[in-house]
Amino acid sequence: MTARRRLATLTALAVLVAGCGWGGGGTAGAPSAGGKPAGLTAAGTYSVESLDPHGPAGASAGTQLAAQAIFSRLVRPGADGSVTGDLATRWTSGDGATTWTFTLREGVTFSDGSPLTAQDVVASFDRVRELKGPVAGNFPDTEVSAPSDREVVFTSRTPNAAILGKLTQFYVVPAKAGDGFFGAPVGSGPFTVTSFTPGESLELAPNRRHWNGAPTLGRLTVKNIPELSARLTALRTGEVQVVWGIPDDQLPPLKSDPSVTVQAVPGTAVFTMWFNSRTPALKDAAVRRALWQAVDFKKIISSLYPETGTPADSVVAPTVLGHAPQPPVPHDPDGARAALAAAGFDFAKPLRLQFSGAEFRQFVQAVASDLDAIGVKTDVREKEPAVFLEDLLALKWDVNFQQLATPTRDAATNLGRLYPCAAGRNGYCNEDLDALLAKAEATDDTAERERFYAGAIAITWNDAVGMYPMFVKVPYAWRQGVNGLVLDPSGLPDFSKVTVNPS
Amino acid sequence: MNRPRRILAALPYLVLGGYGLVAVLGPVLIGYNPRATDVVSRLLPPGSATGAGEVAWLGTDALGRDVLAQIVYGARTSVLIGVATVLASAVIGLTLGVIAGYAGGWVDAVLTRCFDVLLAFPGILLAIVIAGVFERSPVVVVAALSVTAWIPFARVARGSALATRERGWVDAARVMGVGHVATLRRHILPFTAGPVVALATLEFGLVVLAEAGLSFLGIGLPPSTVSWGQIIAGGKDYLQIAWWISTLPGIALTLLVISVGLFSDQLTRRTKQSH
Repeated sequence: MTARRRLATLTALAVLVAGCGWGGGGTAGAPSAGGKPAGLTAAGTYSVESLDPHGPAGASAGTQLAAQAIFSRLVRPGADGSVTGDLATRWTSGDGATTWTFTLREGVTFSDGSPLTAQDVVASFDRVRELKGPVAGNFPDTEVSAPSDREVVFTSRTPNAAILGKLTQFYVVPAKAGDGFFGAPVGSGPFTVTSFTPGESLELAPNRRHWNGAPTLGRLTVKNIPELSARLTALRTGEVQVVWGIPDDQLPPLKSDPSVTVQAVPGTAVFTMWFNSRTPALKDAAVRRALWQAVDFKKIISSLYPETGTPADSVVAPTVLGHAPQPPVPHDPDGARAALAAAGFDFAKPLRLQFSGAEFRQFVQAVASDLDAIGVKTDVREKEPAVFLEDLLALKWDVNFQQLATPTRDAATNLGRLYPCAAGRNGYCNEDLDALLAKAEATDDTAERERFYAGAIAITWNDAVGMYPMFVKVPYAWRQGVNGLVLDPSGLPDFSKVTVNPS
Repeated sequence: MNRPRRILAALPYLVLGGYGLVAVLGPVLIGYNPRATDVVSRLLPPGSATGAGEVAWLGTDALGRDVLAQIVYGARTSVLIGVATVLASAVIGLTLGVIAGYAGGWVDAVLTRCFDVLLAFPGILLAIVIAGVFERSPVVVVAALSVTAWIPFARVARGSALATRERGWVDAARVMGVGHVATLRRHILPFTAGPVVALATLEFGLVVLAEAGLSFLGIGLPPSTVSWGQIIAGGKDYLQIAWWISTLPGIALTLLVISVGLFSDQLTRRTKQSH
């Protein structure tokens, strides 16, 4: 019995000590063994749940990050925001932007040595459409054919001007990819997969056969360290060398660390809090707008995100084509309460507010607190990424929080993909909006497209399909010795040109 | 006992009494709504004035909520969960243990083997599994912690019953034709009370700690309930810039568990002396 008591006391002390134990840790640099090129370990914000860029997780940040390292695309976003060729060297549009012809780069092979041909592109595209994952929504009525081994033609009934931006999310996998392929995939990207544990770590090696030369890194590990404090401790100790998506509270102490460089770049992401318009209580736009008015986002942003947040004035970020500023939604709790009462809102029934990721917990709780203050009950549910995604698609929520990025930097990606009635992603359906989005797709005149998207954004904003409180900057932090990291506004850094000084 | 030792011996009573008072009266004196946040007054050090014009004696957390109020409300949660779990475990453990000890024979053999098998499970692991499977609620936490917490009670009760069964008054009762249930209740159960109470205090400390552990992992009580484990978990990202969020509830938890341990030791010594 005394032993047990002692155990209890010891355990209690251990909890306390563990709670206080923020050790400085060692300052091990990048591991480099025996003259081999040094490796790099990165810990991103999101876990990599699947390597299948065509499947249900295809649009998630984790899968996109993995996919751009393992696979190639026809085109990819360049450093300046324009689209540059990856597998394609040349592209032309014809018939009023309804056909797009891409010429493939010569001599590109997969990492197993087999050549990448137009048939692989066609098979990959068919696979995307067959799996009906989030990426498929970008290409509703597009067909693809391969007139020759080095030529692919995308054809659609209506003009498809935004296709270049959308194709930056379309990855080419071998035509023979079948069941089990994505456990250890073969691609044509700068890296190959050494090992992959979903949700934990992805080990990559340079692809010696990459058309643009193999990366100089000896090894790239993308680790998932969900605990923020553990992630930053790992950066301090040198266990990982690159971290991004760091909350504002942690930036000042990181900046004061001389061995760490911190830099934030304006992102494409918008804090997006959709209302499920299929929930009876949220059907009415007046109700959704009142809920938006109830939250003092300005105060929350200036307190929680003084460094990386700016109040949003649109559904998409200013770095995205189609951005159109909207009048701010004023904070007016009394007006909100009155509007809810007038609309017959049921204050007794709590709204299911779902999100994923501990870094958003405070923001979501602060929003819930403001809703609580006008008597709207919320049932805040923090979910595991996989569960979150499943529930998101199944609409098992009333309010959904997401940091929604636009990696293609074209409003078509998120507006065109997520908001039409057919997408059914947030329960909202408006024929006028559908028409505008279709028109924007149907012209390759950029000024015209911007005008249509401005109209679509105005509808989305005024009907409060969701709340759009904040634009996000993406902060990156890396250790001394890491060079050539391409900071991406979508939080998808490119590691293919990174070098690490052995220390 | 000399004077310093006597003061030292009284310390756990004082601390436990203090916690009891805080748990019962604290919420009456201090108002706290876990859902209400005040982001402007976040991460204030102890003793600062908040935006609402109040003084945060123990600082505020990352959402501007008062740490003192959280500790006070957390004390009540911890004490309630602890008492409920210990009560549930004691009732189950006592019943089965006394039956095993009194009945003897194959009943005893079967029950004792069951206790041994269950004892082989790591308690906290089983609790994590159970708490993780069901939706977060106080009832689930109590159930998850009781699943293994009742076994020590059963073993202690069985030992006492086994010894008491052979005493003269039990034989006398049997000879007079007193039924089994009455014999158990009147002549055996009272003698198990001493060791069981001592064990209960010890278990209380362990349960409070385990509940904090579950809440720390985010699988214990729902976020709308204040719990020390959750406060500590919420502050661990801020140890560098706001140490008070995790440290102060950590100290509160440590003090409680140590005091309960010392108190339990004294009870054990007393019951041994009385035999």
